[in-house]
This record gives sequence, C-alpha cells and structure tokens, in this order.
Amino acid sequence: MSNLLEFLTTVRWQDVVDILINSYILFRLYVLFQGTNAFRVLVGIASLWILQEIAASLGLILTSWAVRGITAAAAIIIIVVFRNEIRSALQARNPRTFFWGSPHPQKVSSIELIAETAFQMGKKRIGALIVFPGKDDLSEVIHGGIPWDGTISQEMLNSIFWPKNPVHDGAIIISGDKVAEVGALLPLSQRQDLPTFYGTRHRAAAGLAERSDALVVVVSEERGRVTVAKDNWIKPIAQPEELCQLLRQHFNLSDGASEKEKQRHKLKMSLAAALSLIIVTGVWFGFTRSHHTIIALSIPLEYVNRPPGYEILETSADEVRVQLYGSSALIRSLRPGQVQARIDLGKAIEGRNTFRITQDNISMPPGVSLNRVEPSVVEVTLDVPVTREIAVQVDWVGRLPDHLIMVDMRVNPSTVQVIGGSKILERVSTIYTVPVRLDTLSRSGSLTAPLILTPPSLKMAPGSPERVTVHFILDERN
Amino acid sequence: MLWRSWSLIFCFLSLFFMPTFSGDGFSAWAQDRSVSTPEEIHGSEAVEQRLTLGKSTMCERVENLRPVRPATVFSASVGQVSAFTAFDPVPEPTLIFHRWYHRDELSTQTRLRLYPPRWSTYSMIQLRETDKGPWRVEVTDENGQIIKVLRFSITD
Repeated sequence: MSNLLEFLTTVRWQDVVDILINSYILFRLYVLFQGTNAFRVLVGIASLWILQEIAASLGLILTSWAVRGITAAAAIIIIVVFRNEIRSALQARNPRTFFWGSPHPQKVSSIELIAETAFQMGKKRIGALIVFPGKDDLSEVIHGGIPWDGTISQEMLNSIFWPKNPVHDGAIIISGDKVAEVGALLPLSQRQDLPTFYGTRHRAAAGLAERSDALVVVVSEERGRVTVAKDNWIKPIAQPEELCQLLRQHFNLSDGASEKEKQRHKLKMSLAAALSLIIVTGVWFGFTRSHHTIIALSIPLEYVNRPPGYEILETSADEVRVQLYGSSALIRSLRPGQVQARIDLGKAIEGRNTFRITQDNISMPPGVSLNRVEPSVVEVTLDVPVTREIAVQVDWVGRLPDHLIMVDMRVNPSTVQVIGGSKILERVSTIYTVPVRLDTLSRSGSLTAPLILTPPSLKMAPGSPERVTVHFILDERN
Repeated sequence: MLWRSWSLIFCFLSLFFMPTFSGDGFSAWAQDRSVSTPEEIHGSEAVEQRLTLGKSTMCERVENLRPVRPATVFSASVGQVSAFTAFDPVPEPTLIFHRWYHRDELSTQTRLRLYPPRWSTYSMIQLRETDKGPWRVEVTDENGQIIKVLRFSITD
C-alpha cells in the first residue's frame, strides 16, 4: 500500500494529461474508423504485431522474421488500398465533428419521406434502387453515377425513377438529405440462393450490400414490393415504419422505439473509451517507468544570456558528459539535439564566475532523467572589449645569404589598433606578421606582409590595416 | 618569472672608457673626472638631468664596449646575440633591466647597474635551435618603466 502511495506521488500532472490525451486520440481513431474495412485490417495488423512479439520472445526466429515482414508490408498496403476510406474518415467538414461528434452525422430528416415514397412507388409499380452508404468508400464498387446533388423530395424521387427517365434504371446514392448521384451501376451478386423472382435490381442491391456496409432499398417494378439489402441479408419490408426503423439503425439514429439500441451504443462507446485508457496507460508505463537503461552522452555546453558589453574570455569546459536513465524505448529513441546543456550568464559579472551544473541546466525529453553530469562545476571568465594600440613585428624565417646582414628594418605602420577583451589584450604586446622568408632577399627593399591576430577572438579596429609594409636594409657582412 | 638558467649573462662596466658616437661609428672616450664627477652630477646643475638612453642596438657580440655587427636578424648558427645600451647622461647610480621575450614569453631578464656620468652596458644570450622566431628586449628602469624596446629575429 505504501509502495502504491509512493508510486502515485511520482506521477506528475503532465503524465496524467499525457495519458488522457493519447487515450482520447486512440478512442477517436476507433470512433472514426469503426465498422470500416480499414479498421478491420488495422485490427489484423495489430494482431500480427502481437504475434510477432510473442514469436520473438519464444525465440522463433523464422516466424518472427516472417511476421515482421508481413506486418511492415501490411502497414504500407493499408495506406494505399484504403486511402479513400481513410480520407473520408478524416475529412471533417466541421472540426467539432472530427474531435467530438459522430463521424457519420447522417442527418436524414427525410427518412420518413423516402420510406413513404418507396412504398408509394411500389403501389404505382415504379421500380427504384436507393443506396444509403455506410462508412465504406463506394467509389471503387459503384460506377457510372451522374452527379445530381438535389435535395430529397417526393416529386424528385418519383421523377428520377419515372420509367421514361433515361436514368431510371440506375441506382441513386443518398448523402445526408440530398441525392448525390443518379444512374449509378452497382455490382451484381453472384449468390445462387437468391429467389428466382429477384431481378437485376435485387441482385445489384445484394451485390453492393455484400461488398460494403451500405444499405440498399429496392422497389420491385413487377411486384411493387419494397426490399432491403444489408451485409449478407436481403429481406422484404412490409411497412414504411419498418423501413424507417432499419434506416435509423443504419445511421445510428436513436428514437423513442430504440432506447435499448441507444443504451447498447453508449455501453459500446464507454467500453471503447475504457479500453483506450487501459491500453494507453499500459503503453505509457512501459515507456516511462522502467528505469533500467542508462546512457552517457557528451553534449556541447551553451552559454546564453551573456550580459551586454561583455565577452566570454575563457571557459573551463565547452562540453559536458551527462549520464541519463530511463526506459530502453525512450533512451533508444533519443536524437542529437534533444539533450541540451545551458548555462545562463544573465547574472554573471566581469572576471571569473563559477556555475554548478544541475538538472535545471540540462534539458531532456520527458521521461528521461539525469543521473550524473561531469564536470559538475564550470568557470566562465567574462571580459569587457577594449581597443589597444599594439606594436607590429615581422616574423622572419629562413636564412639570409651568408654574405648578407640585415642592418636595419622599419615597419609601416609600426603599431595597429586592435579590439579584444581587456584581459586578453593585457597579455598581448605584439602583433606578428605571417612568416616572411629571408632566402629570396638579395638587396635592400620593401615588401608587404599580412598580420596574424592571435588569439582569434581579437580583431582589427576600423581603419587599421591588415597588412604592413616592411622596409629593410641589407649590407655586406664584413 | 622564468629564467634561462643556461644562459650566460654578462654585465660589463666601462670604468675607464665610455663609448660615444660620432655619426658613422663608435669612438673611445676617456672619462675626465675633473669635468664630470659624481658629486657634481648630484649638484644643483644636475638636478635637471634625467637618465637618457643614447644608443641601443642588437648585435652579434660586444668587443671593447662596442657592438659588433648590429643587425635585426640573426642566424642561430651565430651562437649568441647581445643587447647593447649606452646611457648618457646617468645622473646618479641606478639599475636598469634587460628583459628578453621570445614571442611574448619572458625568457630571461638581466639586472644591470649604471654609474654617472655615462655608462654603457649589455646583456647576451646563447642561442639554441628552439630560440628561432621573433624576439624583443625591453630596456626598463628600476621601476619597470620601459625606456626602449629592441626587436629582432633569430632564424635558421
């Protein structure tokens, strides 16, 4: 019990938020994709992954290797094959729908109107084929549809299926309270057990129902009967109310008569939410609470917030070696740049400053902890930049011909203005030229030579030359 | 302070002859105590006088208190190099220093004593292969005030 309490005290509020956000994402993915073929394949892939883990833990080399390959291929295939379904599931006309509402808010206020019209057409022996899409994308199975986009009305439905209308033989696709397409061709069912009096319309309805989650209403031209096809069943409907009931179920719409259905739906969603929470909590603990992996990294030390007017003269360390621990998954996923060490120079003063490196100086990804840092103390010396006049000297190298001697030499200018840290410049009394060779000199003359600024933090003051002229006098050695 | 323990430091006092310069060279000049005695230098007339460096040069060696082969570049094969300084006047007995720097690093320093009324003196170092590079000799008074900087190079 005390262990549990001790454990709970280590859970931060960020961890709770982390779990809740990811649980909700998982839950929403389930809500958006439930019932689609893509979801079923996703479940299959998840099962394959679990199988692969089990095979790997049991030491089944070939099996785990093969399953891993299949899982990887399936993950790519699902994106390619089900791209339309994924797109339609993720397409949100209203952001509220995407984040909160039902993914298929099929607002069919005209369900009663369609049901009533279907039975009226039946009485008049007008054949009709009406498709109510589910969550599956139908573009791959339906062909030849003509875009219509007309708001549903009894008159319009009658006119579409009027025998003289060129598109009356095709199916209409209902989307919300509109007729999206007319004259659509549906795939025919190949089933042998359908009644012989079922014509092409019925076979088309059964064919589409078999291949998708759509609900198809058929009105027989010969018998005037209304039939509904869904999944693998096809059955006649006697009353408009019964048709309304089926349509409501198809669109997950509740009414007074389907309170039980509503309860079931709520229970299903609650279970899905609870399961999402359990899965994510389990994954989260697996990721963050196993502290058995330690890694050591050398990272550059960043000095930030240098006080204005100061320069960093010298530092005792330019990088630190940090020892981090966390779960193996988190430690393995560490990338360069995710761990940073910073020293805030905001309160530093001129001269030597000592800083102790603590956890506050090391920025790490969540879930990774600092075990040790070396060095634990760094010294930073700040300096004020000043300008100083410094003498120039030629750095002669090589050897003069033996019969010659350099009796005099003059450098123009003899001094240059140099900018640098005051402490640095205190130690610099001469600016040297690049090495100038003596071997080629045979008589008095002059030459130019660039200057070298050492240390490199020094720079020439504006107006100071970067090259000097050297006048030299050679004489015969006597 | 780093000292070149290996180097030979010489300090020669020109007790009987003081060098003076006549445009194109050096000439020996006998000290005439009746003209310039220490007591007189400390007199009211000498109060105005200040220690003045008359001649200074780098040279291969000093012979008879005269710099031999003054130059600004010396080959390490020469074996030694000297810093020669001649002060005129020297108002009172005092000390000066020759500080030898190799690339801004103090290599050695020599304390030299000066006596009125004029005094010439020098210091020298023996050269090694590792001494190649730019050098300077700072001539300072006893308070460390720089009187003159002599720059030269040791080469192959």
